[in-house]
Amino acid sequence: MDPGSPWQRRALGLLAGLALVAIGTLVLLPGRESVTVATPALVLVLPGIVAGLVGGRLAGVVTAAVAALALDIAFIEPYGRPTVHLVDDVVALIAFGAVALVVATLVAQAKDRRRAAEQRAQEVLRLSEEKARIERDQHRLSSEKTALEQAEDARRALLRSVSHDLRTPLAAIRAITSDLRAGARYDAATRQDLLDVVGDEAERLDRLVANLLSLSRIEAGALEPDLQAIDLAELLDDRVRRLSRLLRDVRVETTLPVGLPLVDADYTLLDQVVTNLLENAARHAPRQSVIRIDAREAGDMMEIAVSDEGDGVPPAERDWIFEPFRSGDASRSSGIGLAICKAIVEAHGGTIRVADTHPVDTRPVGGRSPGARFAFTLPIHRVRPDVARPEVPA
Amino acid sequence: VTGVTGATGDDTAAAQPLVLVVDDEPPITRALSAALAARGYKADVAATGQQALDQTALRDPAAVILDLGLPDLDGIEVLRRIRSWSNVPVIVLTAEGAEDRKVTALDDGADDYVTKPFSTPELLARLRVALRHRSKAGDGGAGDEPVLVVGDLSIDLPRRIVEVGGRRLELTPKEFGFLALLARHAGKVLTHRMILQEVWGPDYGTESEYLRVYASQLRKKMAEDPARPRLVTEPGVGYRLIDRDTPTG
Repeated sequence: MDPGSPWQRRALGLLAGLALVAIGTLVLLPGRESVTVATPALVLVLPGIVAGLVGGRLAGVVTAAVAALALDIAFIEPYGRPTVHLVDDVVALIAFGAVALVVATLVAQAKDRRRAAEQRAQEVLRLSEEKARIERDQHRLSSEKTALEQAEDARRALLRSVSHDLRTPLAAIRAITSDLRAGARYDAATRQDLLDVVGDEAERLDRLVANLLSLSRIEAGALEPDLQAIDLAELLDDRVRRLSRLLRDVRVETTLPVGLPLVDADYTLLDQVVTNLLENAARHAPRQSVIRIDAREAGDMMEIAVSDEGDGVPPAERDWIFEPFRSGDASRSSGIGLAICKAIVEAHGGTIRVADTHPVDTRPVGGRSPGARFAFTLPIHRVRPDVARPEVPA
Repeated sequence: VTGVTGATGDDTAAAQPLVLVVDDEPPITRALSAALAARGYKADVAATGQQALDQTALRDPAAVILDLGLPDLDGIEVLRRIRSWSNVPVIVLTAEGAEDRKVTALDDGADDYVTKPFSTPELLARLRVALRHRSKAGDGGAGDEPVLVVGDLSIDLPRRIVEVGGRRLELTPKEFGFLALLARHAGKVLTHRMILQEVWGPDYGTESEYLRVYASQLRKKMAEDPARPRLVTEPGVGYRLIDRDTPTG
């Protein structure tokens, strides 16, 4: 309810006040002989109050003055004209005026307060919007910061684990070569053992470097498999033979169905997946246990699995075991091998997962470790019919 | 031939000293066991901190080579527990760049450290120094030697006379204290804190810049060959006085 401009309000107040003066005077006029002057005096206070309420101080005071004049003319003898009863007039004027002023002032103050309160409310609203905006910014910044910190943590974890993995074989190689150079005398068997250590550690370094190269290609988004039709049996045989030193304490059994189709894959990358899975299995397999490699067709895909007889991967860890740098503490590996397997397999359109080698329901109570079975899929090479069916000689 | 008077031949006292090698990496323990065996030591291997504590208690080795990165216990913790009841010489193996770990290990009682990847002859030289100091300490302590000789450097403690190759050096009291302390522990690294507390007093310990100044003054007075210094800075760790005529490999 906006009363409009101040002058409009004043005019409205004055009009209302004067109208009330007129009404009050007219209503009381017929009975003026039967009442004391106090009645019209009290009644004529009202217009000033109303005018002050509606129109503010000026309207209130003017109305009060008119009311005082009306009282004088209409209700104080001699009627009909203004007379100078100095005390009565002045008292009435002051009383009416004071009441009107007080009311108008109170109204104005209340209005000021209301306006101030409204301003404060608006200010509070504006501030709270500002606060919300700042909080949104802070939230955004802190989540960006968290993301950066996580990336930084991951980089640091990578550096730490890679430098550990690089340093250990280097330390063994340097310890042995510095010793031999200093002229240490060894019997033939010890000498052979030390040379084996050097050779094994050099191969370990080689595998780590291959993984690091793949990791940098993966991070650069440059992992583009160069697909060709691959005979799994050939690749697996070759890889197991090359890893014979690493696998010397276990037995590797490869079981492939007869007539297994070829797969579409990048030979080097697939070889790396197999290497990493075998190295992982060798790290966790008990001595003299069996590591099994098998493959089977599953629709358009081939599923290839490497299973060991170790302690297995607890279900809670299966989700993140393929994340970089999250390998279990005891394994002391860079934790990038499985992450690389996942990236390579997915670049081929396949999937990789880990399960128990021996599911709970097939395990005798109290005996046998669950083992870990890493299975991944690759697309089967679809032979075009014209190539698949060479013309049969007549 | 060792450089410190009276120490010669002490490390051959025990027929075949037992050295405990603590590392969880089989390639390292295989290499070290072979190297130790070739030098007339017996080698024992522990792959965890707990095994290290058990074997130190059970087999009473002559020295322990302790890798600080173990799977079960922190190597520093293993060292502290060993030190709570044993004075066996301990040489720690640390990763490169972990200066604070080296200093902590030395301050907590390690005799020396070697950084991985290490040279086996260097590790064996440190091992010999540690064994020699330990056997001397058992004979009544190195502090009883009136004249310390490290290569061509000789320090007459009662008369406070220092000579290098027969040439007498004028040293300030702090320089003398610094050099004499290093000579008393010839071949062994001393941390900044050890040197400051011994020479400057117990209220000192972090003022490693003092040592830099005194070390450079000492080198000047001894006319050190920068390529083959006797007074060796171990960056971030401390100082070591070596007999530069004794090859360490």
